[in-house]
Amino acid sequence: MSTTTATGPVTHGLMSTVWYNARRYPLGVAGAIIMIVFVLSAIFATWVAPLDPFSTNAKASLAAPGGTYLMGADMMGRDVFSRLIHGARVSLAVAIGATMIGSGVGAAVGLACGYIGGWFDLLVQRVTEVFQALPLLVMALVITASLGPSLRNTIIAIAIPLIPIVSRVIRSNVLSLREMPYVEAAKATGMSEWRVAIIHVLPNTLAPLIVLATAQLGSTILTEASLSFLGLGVPEPYPSWGRMLSESAAEYVRTAPWLVIYPGLAISLVVFGSNLLGDALRDALDPRQRD
Amino acid sequence: MSRMLRRLAVASVCTLMLFAGIAHAQKQGGVLRITHRDNPPSASIHEEATISTDMPFMGVFNNLVVFAPDAKQNRLEAVVPELATSWKYSDDERTLTFQLRDGVKWHDGKPFTAADVKCTWDVVSGKVDGKMRKNPRKTWWFNIKDIAVDNPLQVTFHLNDPQPSFLVMLAGGFSPVYPCHVPAAQMRTHPIGTGPFKFVSFQQNESIKLERNTEYWKPGRPYLDGIEYTIIANRSTAVLALESGKFDMNITGELTPELVKDVQSHVPTMQCVVQPSNTQGNLLINRDRPPFDDAKIRRALGLSIDRKAFSDILSRGVYNIGGAMLAPPEGIWGWTKEFMETVPGYGADVEKSREEGRRIMKELGYGPDKMLQLKVSTRNIPDYRDAAVLLIDHIKNVYIQGELEPLDSSVWYARLLKKDYAVGMNVQGTGVDDPDVMFFENYTCNSERNYTAYCNKDLEVLFRKQSQMKDFEARKQLVWQIDRTLQEDGARPVVFQSQGGTCWWPAVKGLHLAVNSIYNHWRFDDVWLER
Amino acid sequence: MLSYLIRRLLLMVVTLFGVSVAIFLLLRIVPGNIADILFDSAGLIDPAEKQKIVADLGLDLPLPLQYWQWLNGLLHGDLGFSYVSEKPVIDEILPRIPITARLAALAMIFAVCAGVPLGVISAVRQNTKLDYALRVLSLSGLSMPSFWLGLLILMACVRWFGTIPIYDRAPETFWAWLAMLAIPAASVGFRSSALIMRLTRSSMLEVLRQDFVRTAKSKGLSDTAVTYDHALRNAVLPVITTIGVETAFLFGGLIVTETVFNIPGVARFLVEAIRWRDYPMVQNLVMFIAVVVVSVNLIVDLLYMLVDPRIRYSE
Repeated sequence: MSTTTATGPVTHGLMSTVWYNARRYPLGVAGAIIMIVFVLSAIFATWVAPLDPFSTNAKASLAAPGGTYLMGADMMGRDVFSRLIHGARVSLAVAIGATMIGSGVGAAVGLACGYIGGWFDLLVQRVTEVFQALPLLVMALVITASLGPSLRNTIIAIAIPLIPIVSRVIRSNVLSLREMPYVEAAKATGMSEWRVAIIHVLPNTLAPLIVLATAQLGSTILTEASLSFLGLGVPEPYPSWGRMLSESAAEYVRTAPWLVIYPGLAISLVVFGSNLLGDALRDALDPRQRD
Repeated sequence: MSRMLRRLAVASVCTLMLFAGIAHAQKQGGVLRITHRDNPPSASIHEEATISTDMPFMGVFNNLVVFAPDAKQNRLEAVVPELATSWKYSDDERTLTFQLRDGVKWHDGKPFTAADVKCTWDVVSGKVDGKMRKNPRKTWWFNIKDIAVDNPLQVTFHLNDPQPSFLVMLAGGFSPVYPCHVPAAQMRTHPIGTGPFKFVSFQQNESIKLERNTEYWKPGRPYLDGIEYTIIANRSTAVLALESGKFDMNITGELTPELVKDVQSHVPTMQCVVQPSNTQGNLLINRDRPPFDDAKIRRALGLSIDRKAFSDILSRGVYNIGGAMLAPPEGIWGWTKEFMETVPGYGADVEKSREEGRRIMKELGYGPDKMLQLKVSTRNIPDYRDAAVLLIDHIKNVYIQGELEPLDSSVWYARLLKKDYAVGMNVQGTGVDDPDVMFFENYTCNSERNYTAYCNKDLEVLFRKQSQMKDFEARKQLVWQIDRTLQEDGARPVVFQSQGGTCWWPAVKGLHLAVNSIYNHWRFDDVWLER
Repeated sequence: MLSYLIRRLLLMVVTLFGVSVAIFLLLRIVPGNIADILFDSAGLIDPAEKQKIVADLGLDLPLPLQYWQWLNGLLHGDLGFSYVSEKPVIDEILPRIPITARLAALAMIFAVCAGVPLGVISAVRQNTKLDYALRVLSLSGLSMPSFWLGLLILMACVRWFGTIPIYDRAPETFWAWLAMLAIPAASVGFRSSALIMRLTRSSMLEVLRQDFVRTAKSKGLSDTAVTYDHALRNAVLPVITTIGVETAFLFGGLIVTETVFNIPGVARFLVEAIRWRDYPMVQNLVMFIAVVVVSVNLIVDLLYMLVDPRIRYSE
C-alpha cells in the first residue's frame, strides 16, 4: 500500500486515527460498512423488517418482487425481505458464537500447549492432526447429526473444527514469544510462569488472534449455509439464509428465482464484507503478513 | 385456478382413456427412462411402504389379481385376474379359492406354484417369520385364518369373516406374489419375480435398471426392452432433465401443481396429470397430557384450522378435502360436500369457527395477552415442516402460541411411542383407497401405525361391521359415520389431502393412471414407446 | 531425509488411528441407528422388531468389540457390508471414487489455470484499477457459497440454453466427461482459484520487491522477462500450499456441488450414508477421506523440499 505512506498521522486523536486508516484501507471501510449494516439489521430486525417474517398468507404465495413484497414472497406467502433481515440474526449468532468459542478455546489450548509443552503438547498436537485430517464440513456434518438440529448445536458444530486451526497458530506464536528478551527478563525478576504468561505473552498473541478470528467469521457463515443447505443446520422457524436457499433451490429455480437469488446474495455480501474487513485488519495489525 | 387444474387433470385422463380405446399399433422396443426422487430403502415391496420402492419394482412382479390396467378408479369392480385365472367364494364367503396360471416361471427359471402364494401371505400376515426386516402391512391381512395349497395350481384363503375388500387389497401394487425359494435378504437387493421385467441393477442413490423378461407368460408382452430409473433428488433438476428430453416421465405424484403448470407452459405437448397422491396431513394430538387432555382445547384447536388455506398453499389451489377417506369425485368412500358441511370444523366460514374457538379459549382464561404456549412437533422434512409452519400460524388465531420442534426422522416415531409431544404434524400415505386399509391400519387399538394410541372399542366394532358389508351404498353410509366420529373425537384431525403431478412425453403410449391411487398401475407390461 | 520420511509415515498411522476412533465414537453418539431409520421409512415403531435388526447387525455388542471387529476387518481389507444396500462396502465406494476424483482434479486444474495468471497480473499491475477489480473478484470467490454459484450457473443455463448439464449416465469418452463435469468443476474450483490468486499475488509482490529482481531490471532485462523468469518460478510454492490446504476444503465443496448437479460421487454419498446411519459406509468413507488428506499433506511437504531446497526438515 505505497500510495498513502507519505503522509503519516499528524495528530493522535481517535478520530484522526480512524480517518487515517480509513484512507489507507478503502476496501476495509467498505467491509466495515457492510458489517455494520449487517449487525444493526440483525439487532434491530424487529423494527427494520416491514412485515412479520413468520406470518403466512395464502394469497401472497410466491408473489413476485415489488409492491408490498420488496423481494417477493415464498411459498407460504412470507415476505422474503423481512425473513432475510431476521435471518441476519441467525448468521450473526452463528458467526459470533462459533468464532468466539472456537478462538477462545483454541487460544487457551494453544497457550497451554506452548507453555506446558511436554506430553500435553504432544497429545494435543496429535488430536489436532486428527481434526485436520477431516474436512471441516464432514466434521460439522457428523457433529450436527449427533447433537441434533438447533441453533446452539450448529454453533458448537462449527466451532469445534475451528479450535485446532486457532490453537496451532497461537501455539507457534507463544513458542516464539517465550524466547523474546523481555519475557526472559520478566522471568528473571522472579515472576511466576503463569503471571508471565498472562501479563506478557497473552496480550501479544491478541493481534494474530483478532486477525485469525475475523478471517474465520466469513467461513463460519459459509459453513452454516452449507449445513443448512444439506438440511442439517438451524431449523425452522428461524429463517436461516442457507435453509431459505436450499428449500427454494429444490423447487423454484425457474418459477420463483428471487427465492434463490436474494438469500444467496445476502450470504455472499456479508461474507464479502467480513473478508474485506479481515484483510484490512490483517494489514493494520499484523504488518508481517502485509501484501 | 383450482378448477382449471382439476379440469386439466380430468381432461388428460379422459384423453388417455380415449387413446386406449383406439387400437394403436403397439411398437416393440425402447428403454423407458424415468426420474426417481430418492433412494428406495430396499427393493422389497413387501418390506416398504413408499412409492420409491413400489413404482420401480412393481414391474418385476405379478399379483394374484390386479386392477384392470385401464380402470379409471381402483375399486372392487375393476379387479381382474393376473397370476390367478379365476376365483370363487364359498357360499358363506369365508373361503376364497384361486385357480392359478399354468406354466408361469420365476425369473430364475423355477416354476411358480400355489406354494409360493401360501408362503407370501403366511409371511406378510405374520404367521411365519420370513426373515423380513419389517412388515408394514401386517394389519391388512388380519382376516386370514389360514391358507391351503389344494394342488400346485389351486390355493384357498380361509377367512375369519366375509370381507369384500380382501380382493381389493390383493389387487394393490403392494401385494405381489413372492417366490418361496428366494430368501428375504435377496429380495431386498436382487428381487426375483414373475413379472414382465427382470431386475438388472440397483445402485444406491444412482439408478435402478430393469430389462425385458423374454419368457413373460403374457404373449407378446412387454413391449419395452427395459426401464431405467435415475435418482435425482432435486425436484427442479428432475423437471429440467425431463423437459430436456433425457427422460420420458417422472416418478408419479412427485411434481407439485406449480411445477406441472411450469412444465406445461414450457413443453405444451407434455402429458400431465395432477391427482390426489394418497397422502394426507393430519394432527397427532396427545390426549393423555395437558393441555390436550381437555376436550375443549382440542375443539378450539380444531376450529382454528383453515383447511382451504392449507390446500391453497400446499396444493397450489387444488382444493380437495375430507375426513380420513379420500374425498370424491376421485375417492370412493369420502364424504359428499353436503355431508362434510355438517361436520364441526369443516364449515365454510372459517372466521366464524375461529370466533367460536376464541370464545372457548377465553372461557378457559386465555386471551391475546395470555396465550397458551406449546410445542408443535414434526419430522425435520420439508413437507412436514411446511405444514407445521402453517398450523402454527393458524392456531395463533385461538390464542395458542406454538413453537416448532423439528425432530430428526430417527427420533420422530420414538417420541410418538413415548407420548412425548403435545401436538404433532403428521403426513401419511395409504396404499389402496379402501376403508378396511384406512381404519385397521391407523385407528384400531393394537395397530402399530396407530401412533396416537387412539382406542375406541365401540368404533372398532363398527370397523368390523363395515368390513363385512356387501351392500356398497349401505357400507358407504356407515363409513361416512365412522369417519365423522373419528374427526369429532379428534382421533387424528385431517387438515389436508396432498396433490401430486405426473408428466410424460407423448411418445409414451398405453400409460394409465387411476384417479384414487398412485401405487397400483406400474406393471408397465402394456406400455410402449413411439419414437 | 529417509528418517524424516519414516517419522512422517509413523505419525500418519497415529493420526489415522485417531481418526478411526473419533469417527467410530461420533457415529455412536448420533441418535438413532439403522433400525430406527429403516422402520421410520415404513412408518413402523415396534421396538421388539427393531431389536431384531439391531441384534442381526451386531449393534448390541459392546462398543470396544464392535470397534475391534471393524478395525480387524479393515486391516485385512474387509470393509464389511452396507447396512442399507446389504452389498459389500468396497463395491459401493470403488465405482464412485473415480467420479469424485475427476471432478476434484478438474476443479484444481481450473483453479490453477485461472488463479496463477490472474495473480501475476494483479501483482504486476499493483494498485491499478485492474488490480483492485481482480482483488474484489477473488474476494467474492471466497465469499460465495459454492452451491449458490452452482445454482446461478444452472439458472443461467436454463435461461439461455433451456437445459442444464446433469449427470444422467456415466459418460463414455474423455470429452463427454469433460462436458459433463466442466460446469460443476468451475463452480467448486472458483473458490480455490480465488485463494491461489491471492497467494500468488502476495508472493509475487514479495519477490518483485527483492533485490535480485531489481538487479535484473537494472541490468536492462525487459520487464516481462524478469517477471516471468524470476518471479513466476516463485509462484509455484503458493500453488502447492493451496493444493495442500484446499484438499480438505475442496471436499466440503464437493459435497454440496455433487448434490446440486446430481453427480453420484463419494462426497454426496457420504451425506446420504450419515442420514441412513449406515455405520460401515460412513466409517470407511471417512477413513478413505482421511487417508487422502493426510497423504496429500505429506506429498505437499515433500514437494516443498524439492522446489525450495532452503527448507530443511530437521525437526
